[in-house]
Amino acid sequence: MALFCQFAYAQNRTVTGTVTSKDDGLPVPGVSVIIKGTRIGTQTSGNGKFSISVPTKGATLVFTFIGFAKTEVPIGSGDVMNVALANDYKQLNEVVVTGSGVATSKARLGIAVESISGKNLPPSPQASIEQALVGKIAGAQISSVDGTPGARTNIVLRGINTIQGGTSPMILIDGVEARSTDISLIDQSTVDHIEVVQGAAASTIYGAQGANGVIQVFTKKGALGKVKIDLSSSVAAGSYINNGDVHQAKLSSFKTDANGNFIDGSGNIIKLDEDGTFPGITWAFPSGNGNPTAMSNPLNTAHQQYGTNLKYYDHLKQLFRTAYTRNNSVAISGGSEKSDYALTVSNNHQESNIVRNGYNDRTNLTANIGTELFKGFTIRSTTQLIYTKNTLNPSFGTGGNAIFNALNASPFYDFNQKLPDGNYPYSLNSGTVSVNGNNPFYNLQYANKKDNRMDIIENIQADYKINKFIELSAKYGINNTHQDINYIYQNQSGNANSNDTESWVSLNNNADNTGEVDKQSNNTTFQNFNGSATIRTDFEKDFHLNVPITTSTLLQYDYRKNHLNQYFSYGYSLPSYPIYNFQQTQTQQVLQDYTEPFVTYGYVVNQKIDIGEYGGIGGGFRSDYSSAFGQGSKPFTFPNANAYLRPSSFDFWRNSSLGNRVPEFKLRAAYGKAGIQPGAFDRYPTLDPKNVGSALTFALLNAQKNPNLDVEVSREFEAGTDIGIKGFDGSWLSDINLSVTYWNRKGSNIIYDVSVAPSTGPLTLKTNAIDMSSNGIQASLNINVLKAKDFNWNVTTNFSHQTSKIDKINGPPIILTSAAGSTQEVLIAGAKIGQIYGYKALTSLDQKNQEGVAYIQPADYNQYEIVEGRVVNKATKGVQFTNEVYALGDPNPKFNMSFINNFNYKQLSFSFQFDWVHGSHLYNQTKEWMYRDGISSDYDKPVTIDGQTAAYTAYYRSVYADYFGARNGPARNGTKDYFYEDASFVRLRNLSVGYDFTSLIASKVFRRVVLTFAARNILTFTKYTGFDPEISSGTSNSSFDRGIDHNSTPNNKSYQLGLSLGF
Amino acid sequence: MKKHKYLSIGFAAAILLAAPSCKKELDVKNPNSPTIEQAKDEPGIISLSTAAVYINGFNGNNPSIIANQNWLGDSYFSLGIGFHELLGDNISAEASNQNINVVNLPDYVILDNGSKITNTSPSKSVIRISNARDKKPANMFFYEWAYMYSLNNACNQVLSLVDNIKFTGDAETKKNTIKAWAYWWKGFAYSKIGSVYYAGIIDNTVGIGNTSALVSTYVTSAAMITEANKNFDQASALLSGIKSASDYSTVLGKLLPGFVQTGKGGVLTTDMWIRNINTMKARNLLVNKRLTAMTATDWNAVLTLINAGIKSDDFVFTGRTTATNGFFSASGGSVAAMTTGLPKSTTFKVSERLIQEYKTGDKRLSTNFSTNQYINQVGGFTFSTRWQLLDANGVDKGGVAVLSDKTPGNYELYIGGSYEENELMKAEALINTGSIATGVSAINNVRTYQGAGLTTLSAALSLSDAKEELRRERRVALVFRGLAFYDARRWGVIDDISKGGGRTNAVVLGSDGVLNTHATINYDFLDYWDVPADEYVINPPAAGSAPIKNPN
Repeated sequence: MALFCQFAYAQNRTVTGTVTSKDDGLPVPGVSVIIKGTRIGTQTSGNGKFSISVPTKGATLVFTFIGFAKTEVPIGSGDVMNVALANDYKQLNEVVVTGSGVATSKARLGIAVESISGKNLPPSPQASIEQALVGKIAGAQISSVDGTPGARTNIVLRGINTIQGGTSPMILIDGVEARSTDISLIDQSTVDHIEVVQGAAASTIYGAQGANGVIQVFTKKGALGKVKIDLSSSVAAGSYINNGDVHQAKLSSFKTDANGNFIDGSGNIIKLDEDGTFPGITWAFPSGNGNPTAMSNPLNTAHQQYGTNLKYYDHLKQLFRTAYTRNNSVAISGGSEKSDYALTVSNNHQESNIVRNGYNDRTNLTANIGTELFKGFTIRSTTQLIYTKNTLNPSFGTGGNAIFNALNASPFYDFNQKLPDGNYPYSLNSGTVSVNGNNPFYNLQYANKKDNRMDIIENIQADYKINKFIELSAKYGINNTHQDINYIYQNQSGNANSNDTESWVSLNNNADNTGEVDKQSNNTTFQNFNGSATIRTDFEKDFHLNVPITTSTLLQYDYRKNHLNQYFSYGYSLPSYPIYNFQQTQTQQVLQDYTEPFVTYGYVVNQKIDIGEYGGIGGGFRSDYSSAFGQGSKPFTFPNANAYLRPSSFDFWRNSSLGNRVPEFKLRAAYGKAGIQPGAFDRYPTLDPKNVGSALTFALLNAQKNPNLDVEVSREFEAGTDIGIKGFDGSWLSDINLSVTYWNRKGSNIIYDVSVAPSTGPLTLKTNAIDMSSNGIQASLNINVLKAKDFNWNVTTNFSHQTSKIDKINGPPIILTSAAGSTQEVLIAGAKIGQIYGYKALTSLDQKNQEGVAYIQPADYNQYEIVEGRVVNKATKGVQFTNEVYALGDPNPKFNMSFINNFNYKQLSFSFQFDWVHGSHLYNQTKEWMYRDGISSDYDKPVTIDGQTAAYTAYYRSVYADYFGARNGPARNGTKDYFYEDASFVRLRNLSVGYDFTSLIASKVFRRVVLTFAARNILTFTKYTGFDPEISSGTSNSSFDRGIDHNSTPNNKSYQLGLSLGF
Repeated sequence: MKKHKYLSIGFAAAILLAAPSCKKELDVKNPNSPTIEQAKDEPGIISLSTAAVYINGFNGNNPSIIANQNWLGDSYFSLGIGFHELLGDNISAEASNQNINVVNLPDYVILDNGSKITNTSPSKSVIRISNARDKKPANMFFYEWAYMYSLNNACNQVLSLVDNIKFTGDAETKKNTIKAWAYWWKGFAYSKIGSVYYAGIIDNTVGIGNTSALVSTYVTSAAMITEANKNFDQASALLSGIKSASDYSTVLGKLLPGFVQTGKGGVLTTDMWIRNINTMKARNLLVNKRLTAMTATDWNAVLTLINAGIKSDDFVFTGRTTATNGFFSASGGSVAAMTTGLPKSTTFKVSERLIQEYKTGDKRLSTNFSTNQYINQVGGFTFSTRWQLLDANGVDKGGVAVLSDKTPGNYELYIGGSYEENELMKAEALINTGSIATGVSAINNVRTYQGAGLTTLSAALSLSDAKEELRRERRVALVFRGLAFYDARRWGVIDDISKGGGRTNAVVLGSDGVLNTHATINYDFLDYWDVPADEYVINPPAAGSAPIKNPN
C-alpha cells in the first residue's frame, strides 16, 4: 500500500469519520485521506475509520483508494465526516505492487498492470478465481475449456513464449509464489483484489518462472471494529451445452427385410446375443466392385428408420443429467487498531452432469491475521487450507472417455440394457459398426476413484519501516500439496461380455479383467523466501533540493525451492468379494518412485525515479542461479527498463481546453528480458531403470536429455497509453477511460525435443530448438454511460489481440499428436504455433500437389464435380483429399473481447457480460470419430452428386477414410480440413440480478441481506457444429495443443440463486 | 534505534548467509535414475546389456519408440513382426492403425465366378505415400528400422564400455560373454535390417542423438547382411574361445531374464549359441535370395551352416510373457496374442490362406483353431475369415505345438532361429540339391517335433510334391515367427502375376459371405522396403551411398 509521510506540525482540530462503499455500504479500509494541496494525510483503519488533524477552516479532504473514484470533500464545520466512495472505473489512481515490487500508483508506472477488485468478480458456480476472471482482464485469454467439475481453465497472457513449460502464469498469493496449488482452487470469496501483469517487462522481477506473466491474489483482511459475520449460500443448476445439436444418425443404411427388420447376411433377424451386442449387422450392399468397404459402396444410403428390432436411443439423454452446484461460505472478520483478522470457510460442491458420476468438493479455510508488534514493525500471516475431494469416475473425469463411448456406441444400443448375469456389457462392438463403442455405465459399475487433495499455502511476512527512507520486508511462504488418488477397478471376470470380447476397464492392468487397485501419491512442497529492502527518497523534502524528484530502490533476494515426490503403486487381480485393498491383490508393484528437487535463487535490483507528476523512469536487473544448471554454473542475468510521461500533468495541457476534455493522458513504455529455465532434469542424461523379471536393468532413453541446454530467453517491449476523457457535463457519458498497450515479444533458444535420425539409437534430443515471436494489443475502455441519482450504468469493454509464430527451428519440423489423441499438430518455421496439420479437400479439378503435379488428369475431369465446395468423384461419391499435409491454420483466436454492463437502480443491481472470441478454430475430432461407423448425424443429410440426391454413406465415409491414392488406408481418421471449423463465438458469459433487502428488513439482526440470481453461459452464438466452441481437449495450458475438440465435457449453462447475509 | 539496527542486521545477515549455502543445493542432478557411470561395473554392464536387448530392442512400453503412435500391441513382436505376418498372408486386419488394413491388400483377386476385385489403393503406392515424417504412425517402414537401430545402438553402448570394466573371476570370459552377446544382437539387428530394407546404415559408434554421431553412408541390403554375418562371426569366435564355462554361464544366466529360461529358452552352452548363430547365417543367405536364384553353391553353403545349426534339444533365444515386468505383454505383445480371440474383437484375423496350408488331419490345426465366421465390411476385401485362433490357456495339448497362450508365462516366442527352421532349411536345401528322401525326412522330423499327428511323408515323393510339402510345412510350422514375408518374397508369391508371381487356388471368403476355393490373388508387394523418411530427411544420404529407395 502507499506510503504516507506524516508531518507533525500543528493542526487546529481533529476530524474523524468512516469511509464506506457506495455500492454496498461496507466500510473500506486502507483509503488514503489527504488534505488537499498538502502531503498531510492518513489511511482508514480496518473498519474504514479515520482521524486527521485539519486546519481550522477552508480545507478539503481527498479520499483515494483502489477501485474507487477519487473523492474530494470540503471540510465543514463539524468534526465528523462520513464519506461514501463510488466505484471508480478510472483506475489510474489505484496503487499496485505487482510488477514493480514497490507499492506504486498506476499513474506512475511505465508498465501495464491490470487490477480488479474482488467485489467486481461475477459469481460462477465453480466459485474459482480463474472462472471469475474470464473476460475481465484486458489482454488475457482465459478460456473455460472443460466442463468437468474441478477442471482447469487455459490462460494465456501475452502470447506463447515457451513450449515445454506451457502458458500457465505464475501465481502469487499475498506476495509469495504458490507453485503447487492451482489458481482454480482459490475460492472467490477469499479475494480482496487481484493484480495481473502480463509481460516479461513487468514479470522479470519474479525471475524465470514469471515469463508467462503473473497473477497476484490479495486475500481479504479484517476491518477495525466489532466482529462481522458474513454468510453466503448459493445453488446452481447446470446442464451441458450442445450448441451444434450433436446427436447420432437417426437413419441407417443397413440390410433389412420386407418388414423393416434389420437382418444379417443370411437373412436372420438381428437380435441381442449373450454379450449384449447385436452381431451380424450388415450394410445393404457389400464391399466389392472397387469399393474397399461396404460403407464406400455408393449404393448404400441412409434411409432406414430404427424402431423395429433395432431401436434408437438418445445416448446423450441417457448419459447426461442436470448437475447441481452448491456454494456456501462463512466469513468472520474484525480488528483493533493494531491487529486485524479475517477468517473464511467456504465450500464448493460440484456434481458431474453425467449420471451416477461423482462430484468435486472443495473446502477452503482462509485466515489473514496481521498485527503491528511495535511501531513500524508489522507481521502478517495468511493461511489457506484447501481440501479437495474428487470422486469422479476415472473414465469420466477430466480427459475421460464417457462422451466418446456414448457417441461412438451405435444408437441402437440401450445403455440401460444389462446382461443376463446382471451386469452392464462393456464392448458394444458389432464387428462392422459400433466398433469403438462401449457402454459407459460399465465404467460406473466397475471402476471408481477417490482423489483427496490437501493444499496448504502459508505466508508469513514481516515488514519493518525503519524510517521514512528504508523499509525492510521478509516474506516466507510454504506451499504444500498432498494428493492421494485411489483407484479401484473391480474384478470383471464375472462379466460375460468382458470375457468374450476380451475388453475391460483398467488403469495399469491390461493383462486381464481381474481388476486392480492403484494408489497415486503426489506431494509437492514449494518454499519461497523473499527478503527485500526498499529505499525511498524525496529530493525536496529529504535533501531540500528544489527538484520534484522521488526515488525508490528495491533490493531483493529471492529463494525458491520446489520438491516434488510421486509414488505410484498398484496391485493386480482383486477377488470377487467386495474388499478392495492391496492385501486382497495377487501381485503388487511400485510403478513410480520419483523425486524432483529444484532450487533457484537470485537477486533483484530495481531503481525507480519519478519527476513530480510529470514522468519517471525505472529499471534494474535480476540475476538467478538454478539447480537445472548444477553447482558451479554461472547465474543468468536479465535486465528491465521502463519509462512514463504524463503530458496531462504539464501546465500547457492542464490549462488548455484539451486539459478539460482529456484530464489524463499518459504514455508509457517498457522493455524486459526474462529467462525460462530448462526443466529440473533436462540437462542430466540418465539411464532408465527398468525391471525385466526380477532383474533391474538399465535402458537407454529414447528421448535424450542434453547437458548443453541453455536457458530460454524472452525479450519483450511494450508501449501504451492511459487516457481519461471527460464526457458530457450531464448525467450521460461523464467519464471515459481508455488504456491501450501494444507489446512485442521474441523468444529464442526455446527448448523442445527434436527428432534425430533413428539410426543413432534415440529418437529425440532436447535442444534449444526454437525461436518464436509474438505480438499483440490489449485495450480496455470504460464508459460511465449514465450517472443519475438512483441509476448508474457503466460499460467496460476489454480487448485482446495476440498472435505467436515460430521463426526458426534448428532441425526438421516438429510433428506432434494432440494429447487428446488422433489429431496431428506441427511446429514449423514460419507458421503460427499450434497449427493443426492435415489433408485438404481438393477444391478445384486442376489442383496440384506441393511438387506441382496435378492430382487429376484433364482427361478425367468429367469423372468429378464440385459438391459443397469440394471435389467429389461422381462414381465413388468420395470427397477427394490431398495426400500431402498442409498446415490448416492457426486455431488461436484473432482477438477476444468482452462487454461488461453494470446497472444500479436503488437497491437493484443488474449486470451482464458478453464474451466474443473471434477467429478461433477447433478441430472437431469428436465428429470425425463419429464418421467412422456412420454414427454422426451428418450421415442423415442428403447430398446431390451427379444429379442424384441421397444420403450416400460413401460420401461421408470418404471424408473419414480416404485421400488421393489411398482409400480406406492411412487416411482413416487422418487429420482433414473438413473437420477444422470456425469456433468463433459470442457468449452471454454472465447475467446477474441482485437485490439488496437491507433497508427493507428492519431488523437489527442483519447488517446486510442480498439476494442474487445469476446465469452463466446461457446463450452462445456460434457456427461451430460441436457441443461447445470454447472446449479444448489438449493438455491443460499447452503451448501448442489448443485447437482440438476430442470428446471433452462441454461447459454447463447454469442458473444460480444466491443469498448473502451479513451480521 | 537499537531495535531497528538489530533487525536490519538480522535481515541483511539472513540474506547474505542464504546465498553461499544455496550454491551446494543447486547440485541436485537427477536423483531418480542411474547414469552411464553406474553401468561401468560388472552388475552395471549386465543391467545395461539386458535392457539393451529386451527394453531398447523389443519393448513397446515406455521408453518406447512407439509412444504416441496409436500402436496396436506393445512390442517389436506385435507389429514389427506383425507386418511380416501380414505381408506373408498369415493374418489380416480391419483396423487402420499403422496401415495394417492396407499394407497387405493384394492388387486384385479373381474369385471362383471369374469376377475380379481390384484394389484401388495398391500396397506399393499406399506404403510409399505413407513414407513421410508426418505419417509416422502409418509408416510401415519406420518401425522395424527404429527398433533394430535402437537395439544396435544400445549394443554399441555396451561394447564401448565393456573393455574398461573390472570383472571378478575369469574377467576375460565374462567380458567376452558380454561382447558375444552384443555382437550377436548387433548381428541380429543388422540381419533384420538387411533382410527387409533396400538399404541400411552400418553404425558401430555410440549415438548420443547429435549429428556428429551420424553415419550418412547408406549401404545395400547385401552389405547389411555381410555386416550382420561379420558380427555373428565375431560372436562365434569369442564363444569358441570361452575358457571358464561357469563364469560364462553365470553371466549369460543374468543376461537372459530368468523368466525366459524355461522351455526352449535357457542358458545356452557356447556350442548351442554357435549353432544358433549358424542357423541365423543360413537364414540370412536363404531368405535374401530368390528361390530361382539359388545356386548349388548357395544350397551347399546353407547345408554347411544348418548341419552346424540348431539341434532339437538345443536352447534357443526365446521370449516369454509375464504378468508384470516383462518386455512384451501376454495380451498384446505378439502377433499370436493379437490374433487370439473372437474375430470381431481381435486386431488380427486368421487368414484363410494360412488355414488352407494345413494338411487334413493336422492336429496343429484342430488344436489351435476353431471356426467362427466373420465377414469384414470395413477392412480390406480379402479379410473375411471362418477361423479364430484359440488360447491354449495353459492346457496341455498332448505334445501338439501351441500357437497362442495368453496366460502370462505360457507363450513361448521365438526371437531368433529354431530347430524347426533349421530342419526345414535343411529339407529345402536337400530337396533342391537332389536329396529328396533325406529332405522329406527332415519335414517329417518337424511334424513329429510339433506333434502334427500326420502320416509320415513318403521318401519317394516327387520333386514337385516334396517342394509343395516343404512350402506348406514352412508356412504352418514357422507361423508367427517373422519368416512368412521372407518366404513369400523368395518364392515370388508377392510378385506381380505378370512377372510370375501371385497365387492360385486360394481360399477367399468374400464380403458377401460366399466362399471361394480357387481364387487367384495378385499380391504385387514391394520386396525390399525403402528407407523410412524419419531417417533420410534428418540424415540425407552422403555421396557414395547406396540407393535408399527400391526401384521396384
